[in-house]
Amino acid sequence: MWNEQGTVGSDRSQTFAEVVEPEIEVMLRVAYSLTSRHADAEDLVQEALLRAYRALDRFDGRHPRAWLLTILRRTHLNMQRRTRPDLVDDWSVLQGHRPAFGAATTASSEQTYLDATLPTQLVRALRELDPRFRAAVLLVDVHDLSYAEAAAVLGVPVGTVMSRLSRARDRLRRRLGPDVLTQGGSS
Amino acid sequence: MKQSLRQMLECRWSARHVQRYLDADPSASLTPQEVQRLEEHLDVCARCTQVVQEHRALHHALTLTLGPTSLPDEDAVDRLRRFVAGLDEEGPPS
Ligand SMILES: [Zn+2]
Repeated sequence: MWNEQGTVGSDRSQTFAEVVEPEIEVMLRVAYSLTSRHADAEDLVQEALLRAYRALDRFDGRHPRAWLLTILRRTHLNMQRRTRPDLVDDWSVLQGHRPAFGAATTASSEQTYLDATLPTQLVRALRELDPRFRAAVLLVDVHDLSYAEAAAVLGVPVGTVMSRLSRARDRLRRRLGPDVLTQGGSS
Repeated sequence: MKQSLRQMLECRWSARHVQRYLDADPSASLTPQEVQRLEEHLDVCARCTQVVQEHRALHHALTLTLGPTSLPDEDAVDRLRRFVAGLDEEGPPS
């Protein structure tokens, strides 16, 4: 659909740029959670973009984000095999994370319950989760992906994303408890 | 007795639908009737309301705690944009 055989150069790359440009940020965000270092994330996205460019003829033009995230996942798997699989973890984003206290994004009403203990306990609770559950929650709650997009990244059906998400959230909720989660926030 | 059994069934039904209600994801959205049924139950059930509040609080906590680190750095986005633009010069791929 995007490219007739024999079409050369600029048409093709212009089409590609139009499809891909709006998705670069989300690809990078997802890549951060797939790799342990920011530089690796950028390499991963670049490699995935190159593969996507080569595979453009096979893209049907629908759901570009899901298409690109699927390629990102496959590229990641491939790179993992080449490097050190033990290093790569979907949640490495947590390890170097700094809670954003006082960040401009923190609304004042939310500050009331976001007590200093919550981020620590939350990170600990996430660490204890099964990696598959953790990945689902990071992709949907933190990276704001849709079920279908998370399914593309994880290479599983949408229903699996939903059940992992549900179990992950229930565990986190129980682990943190109502007092920590909604302290002082009764209505 | 009858009342509490009905209540219990509604709580169970709500528990199964609350995630789809809160996420409102396009690939698994509730029907308007289901939304109405859930909201009517939440109006009368403190326990399910508490569960919904905890889910919301958890989502906010995840976003606020981890969100900023996942912001893509603009330089990286720029470099990748230039990479995409540069694909042109390689000519058609094999
Ligand atoms: Zn209930």
